[in-house]
Amino acid sequence: MSAETAPQAASTYVEPKKPFDWADLFFWIGAIIISLILLLPLYVLFKVSVSTLAEATAPRPSYLIENITWDNWEKMLTWDRVGPYLQHSLIVACSTAALAVILAAPAAYVISRLPRGTRYLVVLSILFTRMFPEVIIATPIATTFFSWGLNDTNIGLTMAHLIRTLPLAAWILVGSFQGIPTDLEEASAVDGASKMKTLIRVVLPLGAPGIAVAAIFAWLDSWNDLLYAIYIFLTERTLPLQIYYYSNRGNVTDVATYSMIMTIPVVIITLFFQRWIRSGYLSGAVKG
Amino acid sequence: MAVTGLSTTAESIGLRKKLRSPIRWLNKYKLEIAMVTPFTVYVLFFMLVPVVQSIYYSFVHKGTHTFTFDNYQTIIDRSTFSDAFKNTLGITAFGVTMEMVFGMIIALMLARAFRGRGLFRSIVLLPLGVPTLVAGAAMLYFVGFNGYLNEVLLDLGLIDVPVYWQQSGVRGMFVIALADLWKATPLVVLILLAGLESIPGDVYEAAGIDGATGWQSFWHHTIPLLMPSITMALILRAIDAFRIFDIAMVLAGQSIQVMSSFVYFDYRAGNTNTAAAAAVILLLMILVFVIAYIFLVERRNEVD
Repeated sequence: MSAETAPQAASTYVEPKKPFDWADLFFWIGAIIISLILLLPLYVLFKVSVSTLAEATAPRPSYLIENITWDNWEKMLTWDRVGPYLQHSLIVACSTAALAVILAAPAAYVISRLPRGTRYLVVLSILFTRMFPEVIIATPIATTFFSWGLNDTNIGLTMAHLIRTLPLAAWILVGSFQGIPTDLEEASAVDGASKMKTLIRVVLPLGAPGIAVAAIFAWLDSWNDLLYAIYIFLTERTLPLQIYYYSNRGNVTDVATYSMIMTIPVVIITLFFQRWIRSGYLSGAVKG
Repeated sequence: MAVTGLSTTAESIGLRKKLRSPIRWLNKYKLEIAMVTPFTVYVLFFMLVPVVQSIYYSFVHKGTHTFTFDNYQTIIDRSTFSDAFKNTLGITAFGVTMEMVFGMIIALMLARAFRGRGLFRSIVLLPLGVPTLVAGAAMLYFVGFNGYLNEVLLDLGLIDVPVYWQQSGVRGMFVIALADLWKATPLVVLILLAGLESIPGDVYEAAGIDGATGWQSFWHHTIPLLMPSITMALILRAIDAFRIFDIAMVLAGQSIQVMSSFVYFDYRAGNTNTAAAAAVILLLMILVFVIAYIFLVERRNEVD
C-alpha cells in the first residue's frame, strides 16, 4: 500500500525502516525493462537519423550507435529539404490553434452556462463528433474544397483541421469555463458592468489557462495530422506528408530525420504541459 | 432553453415568466446567440453535411445519381475490401487486448509510491506525445526485413532466416497492432490509473485484515471496482483502433489496407461512391461502440 494513503496517527510518526524486500527488487527491474522498451523506438529513430543509408539498410543491424554521422541532419539545413514543409505545417498549425480558440471559446462559455441537463447533452454530442470516422468527412470535404480551389492551400488545410479541432477545443473549454464560479460574473453585473465588459474583464482572464490548453491541443492535433493533409494537399506537402511519401519510397534515413524534426517540438510541449494532460481531457469524462 | 450566467440568478427567476415571447427571448440572449452561432454553423456545415453527403453518395449510382445498393455490393465482392475489413477487426482485437493487459500492469505499478515514480510516469506517458505517424515510422525499423525484430529473433535463435513481416494477413495485422500498442498504451494507463486512484485505501486494508493475498485482493476487489474504467478504456480504444489510418499508411501503405486507408485509396482511384459506401460501413462499426459507450459509461456518469 502506498505511504500516501496510509493514515498517520501523528505528524511525528516516522515510518520504520523497511527490511529489504525481494518484491521491491522485481518491481524495480520491471519498471526499468518497461521504460527501456518504451524508449526503444525513439532511440532507434535517433540512431537511424545519425547513420548512413548503407548502414541503416544493412542486414543484421547493430544495437548500439557505432559511428555517428550528421550528414542527414546537415542536409536538412538547406531550405529546400525542410523549409517548404515546415512552413506549411507551422502556418496551418498556428492558424488552426488560433481560429479554433476564437470560434470555440465563446460557444464553450455559453454551453458551460447552460442548465445541467442541456449542457450534458451538448457536451456529449460534441464528444461523439470526435468519434466519427474521419474518412467519411474527409472524402466529401476534399471534393468540395477542390471545387472551391482550396486544395494545396494553407487556408484549405486550416479549414479542414478546424473540423477536428473545434469540437476538441470546445470540449476542453467547456470544462474549464465551468470551473469559473458564476458569483464573480453576478458581482460584476451588480456593479453595473455590461455583459460584454464582464466577459472581457472577468471571464477571459480567469479562463486564460483553459484557453491556452485548448490552443496547445489544437496546435498538436493539426501538427500531427496526416489524414486531412493527404486529402487536401495534392502537390504541396506538410511535414507528415513528407514522412509518408519518403517511407513509401524506402528512404529510411530521411524518414528518421524528418520524424525527429516533427517529434522534437511535440515532445517538448508534451513534457512541459504534462500536468494538464489528464485522463479527463483525453478520455471523455463528461460529468454533467 | 434558458441561458443563465451573465444574467443574475434573481433576475432570471423573477423575469423568466415575463420573457416568454420568442422575440424578447432573442433580444435578451442576443449576445449568447451571437457567441454560439459561428461555432455551430461551422460544425454543421463542415462536419454533419459531409457525413450526410457520404451516406447519399453511397446509395446512388456514380453517373445517374439514382438510388442503388450496387456500391455496397461492389465493395463486398472486392477482396481488398474484405481484407481491409478483416485487418481492421484483427488489429483492433489484438491491439486493444494487449493494450489493456500492459496498461493494467503499468497502471498498477504507477499506483504504488516508489522512488523514481515521477520519472517512470514521464517515460510511460512519452509515446502519448509522439505523433501517431512517427510511431508508425519508428516501427519501420523494427519490422523491416533487416529490422530489429528479426535481428532479436535471429540472435535468440528463434528463427534461422529473417521473416518478412510487412505482408498482408496475420503478420501485417501484428505489425500495425504493435505500433498502435506502443502509441496507445499510455492512454489506457491514464484511464486505469485514474480509476485505481479513486478506489479507497480501506478496501485493501479490510481485505488485508481478512487475510486476502495480493492476487485475491486484485481479483476480487480491484478488478470489480475498476470495471467502469476498464469499460471506458476498452470502448474508447476500440473506436480509435477502428479508425486507424496514419500507422497503417506509413507501415504498409497500399499493401496492407485497413478500413480508413481503403476509403482513401478508393477515393484516389476515382471511386467516390464505393469509397463512401466503405466509409458508411466503418461508421456503422463505430456506431455500435458509441452506443455501447452511451449505455455503459455515460449513463452511469449521469446517475453519479
